[in-house]
Amino acid sequence: MLKTSTTDVVPEKKVEANSDRKFKLTAKDKYYASIFVGPSLFLLGLFVFYPMFRTLYISLFLTNSFGNTTLFVGLDNYVKLISSPDFVASMWVTVVYVVGVTFFTIAMGLLLANLASQKLPGIAIFRTLYSVTMGVSVSVAAIFWLFIFNPSAGFFTLLTKMLHLPTVNWLTSPTNAMWAIIITTVWMHLGFVFLVFLGAIESVPTTLYEAADVEGVSSRYQFFHITLPMISPTLFFVSTITIIGSFKSFGLIDLITKGGPTNATNMLVYRIYNDAFFGGNYAKSSAEAIILAIIIAFFTYLQFKFLEKKVNY
Amino acid sequence: MVKYKKFTMPLILILGIILIGLFGKALSAKSAAVKDNRTEVVLWHEMGGPAEKSLEKIVTGFNKSQKKYVVVPKYQGSYDAAIQKILQTHNTNTSPAVFQAFDISAAQMMHSGFITPVQEFIDKDNFDVSKISPVARAFYSNKGKQQSLPFNTSQPVLYYNASLLKKYGITPPPVSPSYDDITRVAKAIYEKSDHKVKGMTVQIYGWLLEQAMANAGVSLTNNNDGHTGFPTKATITNPASKEFFEWIRENQKAGDFMDYGSGAMSGTNQTTGFLNGKVGIYIQSSASMSQLNKKNKNELGITYFPHPNGKKANGVAIGGAALWISNDKPKDVQQGAFEFIKYTLKPEVQAQWQKDTGYLALNKDSQNTSILKSLYKKHPEAKVPSQQLQEAVPNNFNSGILMEGMQKTRQIEQFAMEEIYNGGDIHRALKNADKKIDDNLTTTNRANGRSTK
Amino acid sequence: MANIDETAILKRIFSYFLLIFLAVVILAPFFIGIWTSFLPTADILKGNFFSTNVSLNNYFDAFTQTPILRYLGNTVVISIITMFAHLIFCSMSAYAFVFLDFKYKKVFFALFMVTMMLPSEAAIIPNFQTVKALGLLDHYSAMIVPSLTSAFGTFMLRQSFMQTPMELKEAADIEGLNHFQIYWNVVLPYNRISLITLGAYSFLGAWNQYLWPILVTFSNNSRVIQNGLKQLQSEETFNNWGMIQASAAIIVIPTIIVLFIGQHYFKSGMNEGAVK
Repeated sequence: MLKTSTTDVVPEKKVEANSDRKFKLTAKDKYYASIFVGPSLFLLGLFVFYPMFRTLYISLFLTNSFGNTTLFVGLDNYVKLISSPDFVASMWVTVVYVVGVTFFTIAMGLLLANLASQKLPGIAIFRTLYSVTMGVSVSVAAIFWLFIFNPSAGFFTLLTKMLHLPTVNWLTSPTNAMWAIIITTVWMHLGFVFLVFLGAIESVPTTLYEAADVEGVSSRYQFFHITLPMISPTLFFVSTITIIGSFKSFGLIDLITKGGPTNATNMLVYRIYNDAFFGGNYAKSSAEAIILAIIIAFFTYLQFKFLEKKVNY
Repeated sequence: MVKYKKFTMPLILILGIILIGLFGKALSAKSAAVKDNRTEVVLWHEMGGPAEKSLEKIVTGFNKSQKKYVVVPKYQGSYDAAIQKILQTHNTNTSPAVFQAFDISAAQMMHSGFITPVQEFIDKDNFDVSKISPVARAFYSNKGKQQSLPFNTSQPVLYYNASLLKKYGITPPPVSPSYDDITRVAKAIYEKSDHKVKGMTVQIYGWLLEQAMANAGVSLTNNNDGHTGFPTKATITNPASKEFFEWIRENQKAGDFMDYGSGAMSGTNQTTGFLNGKVGIYIQSSASMSQLNKKNKNELGITYFPHPNGKKANGVAIGGAALWISNDKPKDVQQGAFEFIKYTLKPEVQAQWQKDTGYLALNKDSQNTSILKSLYKKHPEAKVPSQQLQEAVPNNFNSGILMEGMQKTRQIEQFAMEEIYNGGDIHRALKNADKKIDDNLTTTNRANGRSTK
Repeated sequence: MANIDETAILKRIFSYFLLIFLAVVILAPFFIGIWTSFLPTADILKGNFFSTNVSLNNYFDAFTQTPILRYLGNTVVISIITMFAHLIFCSMSAYAFVFLDFKYKKVFFALFMVTMMLPSEAAIIPNFQTVKALGLLDHYSAMIVPSLTSAFGTFMLRQSFMQTPMELKEAADIEGLNHFQIYWNVVLPYNRISLITLGAYSFLGAWNQYLWPILVTFSNNSRVIQNGLKQLQSEETFNNWGMIQASAAIIVIPTIIVLFIGQHYFKSGMNEGAVK
């Protein structure tokens, strides 16, 4: 299954177009192959494959205070997780977060990219400004926004006071804390997503728009009937990487909410970390890690599959 | 020849990378290396901010006081995160010779088999421990053997903005207040400030719930908080903890309660709020005191931890941490670690430590030093935490909870507190907490091969 | 005619208005953060945003009172080494998958693709044990060795290598070059844009590592900047907001400068490699 997907992912439109001129050396040479692929294969084996099997193994046991496996319990850890309302709530929270982040990142990214793709004097400045958050790392984003959300001296508090509005408890109410994390994440990802969309929109053939202009079609219609369909592969790509990225979110949660309040932002990776490196329950954490791996694998597989399909039409 | 050269370029680059990697390793190792021939004693601690500066002063003092050892302090972040780091690095060259581990990890450390009980060194050196606070010592001893020695000990106390009370003509709470005493003051602050200043806050912090239960004389788990056997069942659902939460709820309903949440910044935000006169009363470790004094433009008031109405306070447990010696280092390093521990407990060192941080001086002779005398003269209220400690009669309920997995328990407690603060049913929240702790206890005991019966 | 011009102008004005408004919204956190980094903490806490006590004191404090320079140095070394390691190992394996024919090539490639599906976050427990067994805890190597190579990088370069044109092969054949020579003298130079893109990604990826360094660093000697910032805001103490904002600014300004310079490559890279 995987083999077919991988071999098919490779060829692309461009490659196929000049495949007859493709650079191809065929020397059956074990020596060269082992030197060229060997190091990477070894490293991936040691730090990706082995740990996955090891995690799976640990997840079938109970672990003692030192993290050593002691008692084989089969799928007990998984059964316990799935039947624990806490874990189910965590999964739900993770899904809400992923959906929220993906939706708003894409909507904002498209809006910005569409605006910035106009041919206006000085547009280059805006393109640069919009992509600026690409240079922001987790800790910086967290600090900037923590200050904005700060209940006593924060910027939002000040703003609401100036406008005589009731103050919002950003980080103490479960719903607002989720919004706070979503806003920060979207902000952080926006620069990258904007650039990707901008690149895609710019590569849409201008003749399509020219034809539409001649027919006097509104720009909104152009966006939904020309731009969107034309960039749909990029849209799919951005969705999957945003989904995968937000499932793996950790830094912002650790820095802003620590999973609270009432576990409202206690997402999967934070749980994995928390259960193992705070709670010392390595078995439970491993079971959660396997669940994460399955989810990520599913979305990555979707992405591969799609790339493969794209080649076929 | 030329061809041959180009052929080797990639290989040279790879070698280069490996070399840079090794260099990086050497670089990171080197800066910690010993300068002269002294024995290096690595100390892991969790004192951030000003307390870190103060601890570094102690370390420098120790390194200057003798020529045999050099202590290298390494900050490990929060108390919580440090525990697994200590357990997981044991027997590696990264692990510390002496480390600071907080109160609730005592049981875990004792059972780990990774430590050398300090009793061995006490016996060998004939070190006189009688001057060290017996309550604090008892917390870290097991079956008459001292496992570790307390370093920083704090008491939870209640702080209030005394200037604010004067301004509005509110009678200050008594030195050992009941819940109602505090409610009265908190409501008065809120009303008289025209709802501009919130009356009180209680941080969502498991430690405070534990203290409320200790002060009410009830236990958190069966087997007397683990003092008479391994705990197997949690007992958070009891009238005393309900009364504690009903007290908070009453103030929430009156509108004078401020919720700072439990996020990464809640502690800071709360202190900031108090300092800027946005909330009048809050409960926190006595370790915050010196900083409050330093930065506060208002007069600071301190009382004991509040107790249930119509009952006498049972006294709270100590908080803070102890210094432990790992058994994976050579004998001379361990001896060096003990020399350092002894140094930290000197009267002047402890006195300066209390003055700098607010942690209580553990050596009885510290009270006679000029350092503390001048502190009490300037800030008479600084005496309150020590008095609270002295007045408490140690019993099973206020001597800490001897249970493994206390960190997870704290998170569960905090979850319950959050639920209640957000309007959830008190009884149900506590029942859920009990159930979750029970589940963890069952798993822990099973995984470590203990009978749950 | 005049009518059309007018609506076009109105449309333009509206466009600019929207562009500027969104730019302000997106940049606001930066402005707030950087502006407050110049203010004394006391003023920030009082909510006195438009204070005129502007100074560089917070920056001075950040450099002198915190190990931020050490954190920055650690992170730069780790990120640069990781970047070069990715460039070498990924390009080598990509070369093999494109230009060499060997047994189990498809199987190996499938394995590479599978690793892209496995999140490193799920492997932290065994990886911690491995790094511990190798004696690398609290060293730079603990953060470098597990990420010396990347399946994504290999995949991306492979896509790019496949488009190397025929003429170059012919030239190489005439010269009689071996694989190392072709790799080094023909393929790498031809694909330098993709290599620069991968380098930038790898650098940023290493720079932004957060979870893994928390687990394997135990002292300021090896602590990286992302975790270092967290250390600065210690919880039970007062927050020196001014200084913290200054440290955030110190970290973000260099990356933004790098981004502005490298923007062209990023864009072209994204459209070439990743986004197809």
